[in-house]
Amino acid sequence: MLDALRFEWMRLTTLRSTYWLVGIGLLAAAAIPVIFGLTATDEDLIPEFVALAVNGGASFGIPFLAVFMAVIGIFATGHEYRHGTIQPTLTALPQRSRLILAKILVVSAATIAVTAVSMAINAGVVLVFFGEVPGLFDDPVRSALLGYMIYTLIYTLVGLGLGLLFRGVPSALVVIFLMPLIIENVIVGLSSIPTLDWLVPLVKFLPFTAGTLLMSVGPADMGMGTDFDFFDRWGSGAVFAGFAAVIIAAAWTLFKKRDA
Amino acid sequence: MITAKGLYKRYRKTVAVNHLSFDVRPGVVTGFLGPNGSGKSTTMRLMLGLDHGEGQTLFDGEAFTDIRRPMNKVGTLLEAKPFHPTRSARNHLRMLASANGVGDKRVDEVMELVGLGSVKRKKPKGYSLGMAQRLGLAQALLGDPRILLLDEPTNGLDPHGIHWMRDMLKHLASEGRTIFVSSHLLSEMQLMADELVVIGRGHMIFNGDVDQFVRDFTQSTVIVRSPSAEGFTAALEGAGAEVAKGKDGELIVSGMEIGAVGHLAFTENVELSELSTRSASLEEAFMSATGSSEEFIAAEPIAPATKTGGSANA
Repeated sequence: MLDALRFEWMRLTTLRSTYWLVGIGLLAAAAIPVIFGLTATDEDLIPEFVALAVNGGASFGIPFLAVFMAVIGIFATGHEYRHGTIQPTLTALPQRSRLILAKILVVSAATIAVTAVSMAINAGVVLVFFGEVPGLFDDPVRSALLGYMIYTLIYTLVGLGLGLLFRGVPSALVVIFLMPLIIENVIVGLSSIPTLDWLVPLVKFLPFTAGTLLMSVGPADMGMGTDFDFFDRWGSGAVFAGFAAVIIAAAWTLFKKRDA
Repeated sequence: MITAKGLYKRYRKTVAVNHLSFDVRPGVVTGFLGPNGSGKSTTMRLMLGLDHGEGQTLFDGEAFTDIRRPMNKVGTLLEAKPFHPTRSARNHLRMLASANGVGDKRVDEVMELVGLGSVKRKKPKGYSLGMAQRLGLAQALLGDPRILLLDEPTNGLDPHGIHWMRDMLKHLASEGRTIFVSSHLLSEMQLMADELVVIGRGHMIFNGDVDQFVRDFTQSTVIVRSPSAEGFTAALEGAGAEVAKGKDGELIVSGMEIGAVGHLAFTENVELSELSTRSASLEEAFMSATGSSEEFIAAEPIAPATKTGGSANA
């Protein structure tokens, strides 16, 4: 297993795109507290504001870092097919399950580390502009930020699973952007139409929508006055994690069965 | 030593590899021949567990997928450009080496060996096909393996490169390694291979040494030139030989050994100006062996229109 981990680490760190994506993700996430610092210095540092600044706007619906890390997840598997490297990879490391496990572990570790760095940078920005970061290590901000880290991790793993499932990059990119930004938003929107109110009980099972509740500071409200009866933070997280697990399990099973 | 038994692969209605069994011995270069679409690449992928099918291939007694750090035992080159375009060639090899406990020193060594030392830090997207093949061979040699499996390694190489590859493979075989190499360049196989595995439409056509293949799949003929060719033709046919007339007036005799032809000329008191045998090339043997098993057959070229009188002025 150590050989597989070494391989995957080398694969990840010898790609220039990894550094670009991490760099852009960190900058985009840091831009949110910078904008707050420049425009909202009179705001009270309430928990919602602190969490939003430190997670780089992710809980407001713009999970910059998660999206860029998800692209790294897609590349972890999709690139192997796009550039035909799956053949040398499997002749260097023919134990397929070991390879996938190594990819999941290395990409997960990188995501957790990058998210932690991003939160540290963002907290530093808040400190510079506002002179303090109140309640950073206390609930509800602490749980919301832990939820943000898990959200980013699950988002990345969904990307990794989609890249492996579709055996390429473009389809996985389309799904990972289309599903949270369009499909789920459309379903949530449609559920407010009286004749489609049967959609309401389904909303809490929409994976990316449920996933955002991992980052919530207060009670969930989708802004339309509808009570979607969401699960709590960790229950919603389990919905998102379950979705990632299904994608990865399907991709893993097919990877073992399919020709390379 | 490679031992392949009962290799079988089906894609829906098409049987790509049909119960192939063969051995590849160490110390010699074994060529893997077959027309386009005959199943050569699929067979190699089956052998390495890249494709799923039936049968078993053992590399010195072990299945490929059971080998820990396989590059140290089996080196492979399957596709011409299987690398990320922006990862440097050296990093590509370092990545594969890291999964097999091979150090950076060996990476630099193989890059020098294949002649890519000066461009090892460049991105392979700028590599020509020939350079890519050299990088592929460097990849195969990374773990200094005893067995090499190479799919069309001379594709894209210039004549100098082909010569280099041929010498390299023969040298590696002379060190006692097992070399299994596919190619559609029959002339190359004639110069490079000691043994052959020939397939057509997934079926085994021949497995043995190159000379045996030529003997089995070509009819050896005797060439006779004589001032009394017409009279001698009747004598030859009377003795049971088949005689055809060549374009230069020579007699092409089949079904009779050269010694018997000479003896007949002596007893018939016929003067001969040439008495020789003509051996078929590997290419002729290959065409004869696989002629009926080509997967993709092109139409015959259209004959140029006969020029009629007059001139066509623009």
